[in-house]
Order: sequence, then structure tokens, then C-alpha cells
Amino acid sequence: MRLFFLFHKGNSGEIARNRLKIALISDEAQVTPGLLDMIREDLIDVFSRYADFDTGQVDLRLSRGACSDDMLPALCARIPVRQFTRLRNE
Amino acid sequence: MSEVIVITSGKGGVGKTTTTANIGTGLALLGYRVCLIDTDIGLRNLDVVMGLENRIIYNLVDVVEGNCRMKQALIKDKRYPNLYLLPSAQTRDKTSVNPGQMQKLTDDLRDDFDYILLDCPAGIERGFQNAIAGAERAIVVTTPEVSAIRDADRIIGLLESSQITQIDLIVNRIRMDMVRRGDMMSVDDVADILAVPVIGAVPDDETIVISTNQGEPLVDTACAAGEAFYTICRRIIGEEIPLMDLERQRGILIRISQFLKRA
Repeated sequence: MRLFFLFHKGNSGEIARNRLKIALISDEAQVTPGLLDMIREDLIDVFSRYADFDTGQVDLRLSRGACSDDMLPALCARIPVRQFTRLRNE
Repeated sequence: MSEVIVITSGKGGVGKTTTTANIGTGLALLGYRVCLIDTDIGLRNLDVVMGLENRIIYNLVDVVEGNCRMKQALIKDKRYPNLYLLPSAQTRDKTSVNPGQMQKLTDDLRDDFDYILLDCPAGIERGFQNAIAGAERAIVVTTPEVSAIRDADRIIGLLESSQITQIDLIVNRIRMDMVRRGDMMSVDDVADILAVPVIGAVPDDETIVISTNQGEPLVDTACAAGEAFYTICRRIIGEEIPLMDLERQRGILIRISQFLKRA
């Protein structure tokens, strides 16, 4: 017997909705999850020169209309910073 | 004034042909002159769903190639007033016809019919391009599943960059019991994701299987799907009526227990 059905809480509709939203935006922007991972690695690389942060906490995602009203795909990064380590003109 | 409507979905098996058959029949019952065209060359099916498979002599490719006149290829459905079917060819493929020819074919029918419904093949290639060529309006059929919705999104994008001016959505095979317990996306969820107006919502109904087995469309019969399709037909002709109430199909005991739970 599969435990999945034993503990199933009845929220797969919500899961489907969220997965679809991400898939459709990725399709439209022609950004694969793999490419998103590469951008994220590079972002961590660059940003770590300026700040101290937990790389595991970096959240990078595509969403629609997050930056403007025109519903264009937007790339949003959330980086919780512990401390800025260096000033830019140092 | 005539209207050419393509019924499409991207993904196969979501109910395009059943939808075409039932909407066509419903519009004929409402008194309109209707022509159904099966554009799925090589995989003809609208004829069997309509129960007209034994009456085919000529087909769409014959008309396009000039092997017969349009009137010879059109099959009149004797059960309904003013309902005709132009069947597809079974032994040819999608490249037998081009979009220009399809546009001419639908334009030739405009004088004789109020509604020309095109049953589109699955996919986004030549068959799809042929089917949409002569249409000014599209109905996208989807089910509340990730694969069907993703394909519908792609189709909507392609339709938006075509000559088509009106795109509506039908969400097919909804199971309200699953929606209620959170295991199926609701009509609103699907509409929200696809951002296209919903013209109809059709509950999952085993009567559809029976109706297809018999080759008799069930629009306007006393079952949930029949009522849903009839409502869609009335919305297509411009009546301002709401979508069918899917909750109404529930038994009285379930409703009472649901009510008590909420109270």
C-alpha cells in the first residue's frame, strides 16, 4: 500500500495550480529551471563579494507582473542578508 | 450573419469532438442553420460521435480537390432541423489541404449557414493551422489537469497571434467532489491561470460515454452534461445567462450535511 494515499490531505489541486503557474511562466519566458539554477549560482557568486548571507536561503523565481502592471515575466530574487561586508568603493 | 468557430485544445482527448457535436446539435435545436466540419484529416471521428458514419460518400478533401460539389459532401442530420456535417477524409493526411483552401471552404459556406463549427485536430502543426484559417472565433476546450491546461495556454498564445478575434474557454470533465476536497482545480482556478473568459463548464458525466456509444448527442437531455452544453449554446448565441450551477447536481442529503458542517 502506498503511504501517499494514506496520508493524503486533499490539496493536490493547489499543488497543480502552483506547478502550472511556474511552468507557464517558464514556457513563456523560455527559461528552463536549469537556466534559473545557473543564474542563481552566478548571483550568489557576485553577491557574496559584498555581503555575508546563507546561500541556502537564496530564493530566485519567475513570476508574472511582480515588477510592473503589464504582466510581463519578472525575475525576483530574495536574499536574506546577515551583514554587508564591504563598501563598494573600498 | 454567419460565424465560423473553431473548437480546439492542443492536447488530445479532452473532449473537442464531443463538444463540437453537442454544441452543433444544440445550436440547431435553437433554430440556427449549423454546419459541422471535421478537420482532423486521417483521424476522422466527428461522424461516429454524431452517428452519421454510415452516410459518408464524399469528404472534405474531395470538396477541396474538386472531386465533388459541396452539396454532395454535406450530410444532413435528419434528426435535427438544419444540421449538416462535412466529414473528414480517413485515408489522407493533414498536408492534403492548406490554410488558404480551408479559408475558401468556410467562406463558401457562410451564405448557407448561421454557425460553422470546426472540430480541430490535436497538436499545433498543419492540422491546427488548417482548422483555424477560416475562423474568427475560437472555443478552447480544456480539463482541470496540468497537461491539458499547459497545452491550452500554448494554443491561446497561437490563437492570439492569428486573425481570431474572440477566444472563449470551456472547462470540461469537472468533478465537484474532487474540487470540494481540494484535489482538483476549480473552474475559477483554470480561468485565472489561462486569463480567457469562460463560456462553459461541463461536469464529468458518464452519460457522455453512453451518448457517444450510441452516436446521439445529449445536449438538452435531462443529465448534467446535457444541461451544461445547452447552457453553453445559449451563451454562444449571446444570451446573458450564468454558467450552469455545478453544485446543483448534488443530492439533498449531502447538501444538508455540508450546511450543518458550515453552521
